[in-house]
Amino acid sequence: MINYIIRRLLLVPLLLFGVTILIFGMLSFLQPVERLALYMRDFPKNEKVVPALIAKYDLDKPIYVQYWNWLWGKVDETGKRDGGILFGNFGYSRSASQPVVELIQRRFPATLELTIWAVAPVVLVGIWLGVQAAVHHNGWIDQAARIFSIVGTSFPTFVFGLLMLMIFYANLQWFPPGRLSDEFSKIVESATFHRYTTLITFDALLNGRFDIFLDALRHLIMPILTLSYINWATFLRVTRGSMLETLRMEYVTTARAKGLPERDVIYKHAQPNAMLPVVTLAGFSVVGLLAGAVITETVFNYPGIGSAAVRAATSLDVVAMLGFALFDGFILIVAALVVDILYALVDPRVRLS
Amino acid sequence: MSNNNAEILLKVEDLKMHFPIYRGVFQRQVGAVRAVDGISFDVYRGETLGLVGESGCGKSTTGRTILQLYKPTDGQIHFEGADLVTLHGEEMRRMRRKMQMIFQDPYASLNPRMTVEQIVGEPLMVHNVATGKEIEERVKHLLELVGLNPAFSTRYPHEFSGGQRQRVGVARALALQPSFIICDEPISALDVSIQAQVVNLLEELQEQFNLTYLFIAHDLSMVRHISKRVAVMYLGVIVELTDRDELYSSPLHPYTQALLSAVPIPDPLLDAQRKRTILEGDVPSPANPPSGCRFRTRCPIAQSLCAESRPEFREVKPGHFVACHLVK
Repeated sequence: MINYIIRRLLLVPLLLFGVTILIFGMLSFLQPVERLALYMRDFPKNEKVVPALIAKYDLDKPIYVQYWNWLWGKVDETGKRDGGILFGNFGYSRSASQPVVELIQRRFPATLELTIWAVAPVVLVGIWLGVQAAVHHNGWIDQAARIFSIVGTSFPTFVFGLLMLMIFYANLQWFPPGRLSDEFSKIVESATFHRYTTLITFDALLNGRFDIFLDALRHLIMPILTLSYINWATFLRVTRGSMLETLRMEYVTTARAKGLPERDVIYKHAQPNAMLPVVTLAGFSVVGLLAGAVITETVFNYPGIGSAAVRAATSLDVVAMLGFALFDGFILIVAALVVDILYALVDPRVRLS
Repeated sequence: MSNNNAEILLKVEDLKMHFPIYRGVFQRQVGAVRAVDGISFDVYRGETLGLVGESGCGKSTTGRTILQLYKPTDGQIHFEGADLVTLHGEEMRRMRRKMQMIFQDPYASLNPRMTVEQIVGEPLMVHNVATGKEIEERVKHLLELVGLNPAFSTRYPHEFSGGQRQRVGVARALALQPSFIICDEPISALDVSIQAQVVNLLEELQEQFNLTYLFIAHDLSMVRHISKRVAVMYLGVIVELTDRDELYSSPLHPYTQALLSAVPIPDPLLDAQRKRTILEGDVPSPANPPSGCRFRTRCPIAQSLCAESRPEFREVKPGHFVACHLVK
């Protein structure tokens, strides 16, 4: 098992390397002048400045030189390093008027918070419901689950989000958009409020401010539902299908014949085996969540990484886009790593081969 | 017959297992697959009763219904003084200690996520027979008993060959020291060279622990080798039941005769001489079986009587039961 994890960990730098090459490769379709323009707020009027700048930043050099400069940065005679994503220098975002790293640092906790609240109930309750639907095949839970998963998977996120916005914000005014009400925002920004995790709901609880926790949750509920309803549907459906199949396996009959109580037959023998496709699905759903966050955060004006990416894209802020692409790639690689390790935990056949 | 003095371990009476068929929008029951349709037989302590028949004739269903893995539609199953059909929940669970099953497919019947120790040891745990270190010891002993290296106990099923897996299945079945084991085609998924090993193992264990087997198979020669008595099934009913030697030397039911004449004789001269009965047509659907005698649609000697009433399963000679109107 340890060997497997180490072997798998060794793959991570390799994958990251591949991601950087792919992302940087896309830039090579631009002319040196165009690439220069990406990094300039105002394009210089003086025509002589342009070739000088191109030469200074090696923009006319071969692509591998530029890639190396981007990755490692350029060190001048005094030993001062300029650029280099390996050293956390992702450039300056024009659309957000701050360095890309700071932008991600500021925006990511909000997205992480949204994702945790969107995923945790799905994983816990969605899988449980799927198992129940399979165990009581054709019962009322099963029928309800079937209808729900068809409706859920065939409803576009933006339609669902706008519908929620219309009903609960415009008409009923139950749940406001944004991340926090104004009066609480001031408290959270103040020095007396300790930001242990940078996730507002958790920090509020840790600071003992239950009112802030509830306010944050009130803001989160609509984005959570919008982001997670597709996952509810797919997790339920996949768990149900996999569980139905596993319950037909002969070792489940064997377990019954041994004299195991039905509870143990279902939760100790059938369910762990039925979890294999669900673990795979969990890996895929991370991709879905990142894409879903872009739409959800835009619809609800939620200040996460998704809405920042949309703003960067609409204002042609390629520097920030590169940063977001790398960051997303990094998250996906980590997610794939976690899924592979989980898979090995769940299935001994993977571990030993 | 010596059987008359022996103790009856299992008595099956008029057992029926019908699986409902649902159709249409409202899933109304439109019929039933009569997988097992009224069979009666006894199994004596210490014997091996062979149960043979074509695929789909209900042999496996019979085995599983006896163990209450399916809830029977009708009938009684007397085992060690109790009617299994009326037992529920905890009572049934406790009864399972005494009857176990060895399954056909050693690849499907072992949980891929459990080690051999967990697989073999689990019955001991759930029935509170042993705990902790003791389980470990018992599992090692059981593995030795079935001819596996006890050091393999921490391995997973996929690390074993088919024959070894089936030995694990046998060890699992033996763990609770049952008196009755249903072997549901335990060798048909194995290579021929391995088949003999497993059958010999089963025979040795029977002698050692005075086990009673219900041996379900479609391989007539294997059944002849291991069984004391043999029951022949056709389309959900038992058509003939008698001592092994009697059945193979003088079968009375036309279906048994046809079945036996299909067994190849390893001597071309003898094989050319004998009269072969070749059955025509297919096995009818168990959802819509023929009236009267189940076998009449393919029977070479069927008469009008056979379509009118179902032949009684009666004892024509001491210990020789046949369900046929035409056998006197």
